[in-house]
Amino acid sequence: MKPGWLYMLLAGVLVVWVLLPIFLIAALAFSDRSSVFAWPKGLLPQQFSLETLAFFFGVEGVWKAIRNSLAVAGMTLVFSVLLGAPAGYALARYRFAGADAYRLLILMTRAFPLAILAIPLAVRFLQLGIYDTPFGVALVHTALALPFAVLVTSSLFLGIPKELEEAAWTLGCNRIQAFLRVVLPLALPGLAATAIFAFVISWNEVFAATLLTLRERTLPAFLLASLNDSPLPFRFAGGFFLIVPALVFIFLIRRYLFTLWGIANR
Amino acid sequence: MAGIRVENIEKSFGKFKALSGVSLEVRDQEFVVLLGPSGCGKTTLLRIIAGLEQADRGRVWIGEREVSGLPPRSRRVAMVFQNYAVFPHLTVFENIAFGLRMQKAPAEKIKAKVEQAATLMHIENLLGRYPAQLSGGQRQRVAVARALAVEPEVLLMDEPLSNLDALLRLEMRAELKRLLAESRTTTLYVTHDQVEAMSLADRIAVMNAGQIVQYDQPMKVYQEPANTFVGGFIGSPPMNFLRLPVEGQQARLASLVLALPSEVSGAEVLLGVRPEDFEVYTDQRPQSFPAEVLVVEPLGPHLLLTLRFGEQLLKATVPPDFAVRPGQTIWLKPQPGRLRWLEPTSGQALTAR
Repeated sequence: MKPGWLYMLLAGVLVVWVLLPIFLIAALAFSDRSSVFAWPKGLLPQQFSLETLAFFFGVEGVWKAIRNSLAVAGMTLVFSVLLGAPAGYALARYRFAGADAYRLLILMTRAFPLAILAIPLAVRFLQLGIYDTPFGVALVHTALALPFAVLVTSSLFLGIPKELEEAAWTLGCNRIQAFLRVVLPLALPGLAATAIFAFVISWNEVFAATLLTLRERTLPAFLLASLNDSPLPFRFAGGFFLIVPALVFIFLIRRYLFTLWGIANR
Repeated sequence: MAGIRVENIEKSFGKFKALSGVSLEVRDQEFVVLLGPSGCGKTTLLRIIAGLEQADRGRVWIGEREVSGLPPRSRRVAMVFQNYAVFPHLTVFENIAFGLRMQKAPAEKIKAKVEQAATLMHIENLLGRYPAQLSGGQRQRVAVARALAVEPEVLLMDEPLSNLDALLRLEMRAELKRLLAESRTTTLYVTHDQVEAMSLADRIAVMNAGQIVQYDQPMKVYQEPANTFVGGFIGSPPMNFLRLPVEGQQARLASLVLALPSEVSGAEVLLGVRPEDFEVYTDQRPQSFPAEVLVVEPLGPHLLLTLRFGEQLLKATVPPDFAVRPGQTIWLKPQPGRLRWLEPTSGQALTAR
């Protein structure tokens, strides 16, 4: 069926709606100070300049926040894959009582509002001594990323025929060797996608990071706290720096996200 | 090299009883085919022997070793799967070498064995390729070469030809037969294709509903089916079963009187006769019975006739130049040495003893 003009129009509006702000932020992040303040703003970057970005990185606390963000996202990536992949493998390979309920339960954790959890979490983290640490934030981010990690890896392992593993068993592998020699190499691109997605979720997350840190802010939390009383160039550069990694990564792993969402991948 | 012995294997999946007390013995160097319709438990039995499935009850020996509790890797078996299960991330060479690498064989030995196995399967020029660059038939060759390279005591094959197209299947069938006759590896082969079973096997184990119904040489299974299931499952078109009245030690077929091999308790008996085991005439002959022609199907090598005898239908094959029309009455003379007598209620064959 050929999409009608109304459909195309709506799609066009949607694309502009999403892309325009991103474009403006990117354009202004690479402009000099005067064009950032200029009004009306030109559609294209007037004066290409790294001045705005340089200013952004010069602000005190930015580098520390980036370091924290990287640490938190890195830990989230590792935890999500280490916990999520075995769960996904179990869902894909074993029939166990309550497998379907378990699958649903994993998704339900996403329905749990973080706002309700925040205060008890903060209290517990204070008691455990992990409040205001990247590790504490990474734990919460892992909880957020885990459902995706489990479901993506489960469909990933489902796509690898069981006979490949069985063939490896009959050829002298124990279960772990068969996994390492046969399943892992085949699953690697998908596992990388899962890891990147966990990284992006953590990189973009602001609510938990804001509530659970004071000094050890991640980049989004740091920006949120200082956005209102900072100059325009800082906002554009900060916004740009937040958006870009997420966009690039999502673009790289879009094929796996499509499979997760049940869209046929071509 | 070793035989396989399986004793009283039982296996259920939930409420479904896949195998109910199966015993089977495969001699050293023998080629045995497990034949049966889908769901009869043949693949389950093969997987239990491979160690990929655990039996609920019963024991498995390979050679003199009991392997019932052993994992697949310790059983010295090799398996060829229906979907080939060739490792897509490894080259053909590495696929064939996989088992040898797991045995930590020295590099020269691996190279020699891989090349030997590849030559045997005529894929020596494909060693550097990846499976994605191969056709289905070539992948299947890689799978067989991979299994043979480890020199298993027992080779297990699960419908290895069923994913190939008809022509290729015919070619691979003949090649497998040559190959396994050369290597003399004890082989257990699962298929639902009776032609494949007939052509390959030293002995066929016919399975139905979780049990082995008959275990014998292919021609024996074909000519002397143990019951109506075997006679109906093997042969295309299947064996005819005519229900005939019993008169003492004899059965009556129209004006024909046929001697029974043993005493029959009931009033009726089943006569099993293959469609090709009739001599067919357009005029009345001695030792024959009349039947009305319903359908004539020219199949090339012969004509397939669907006939009516009283209320019963039967099939007969006749030479392609046999002149016959639907509606015509013809006379059939069953060949005396090719008759099989069966008990009508149980479907079991009557034995001469």
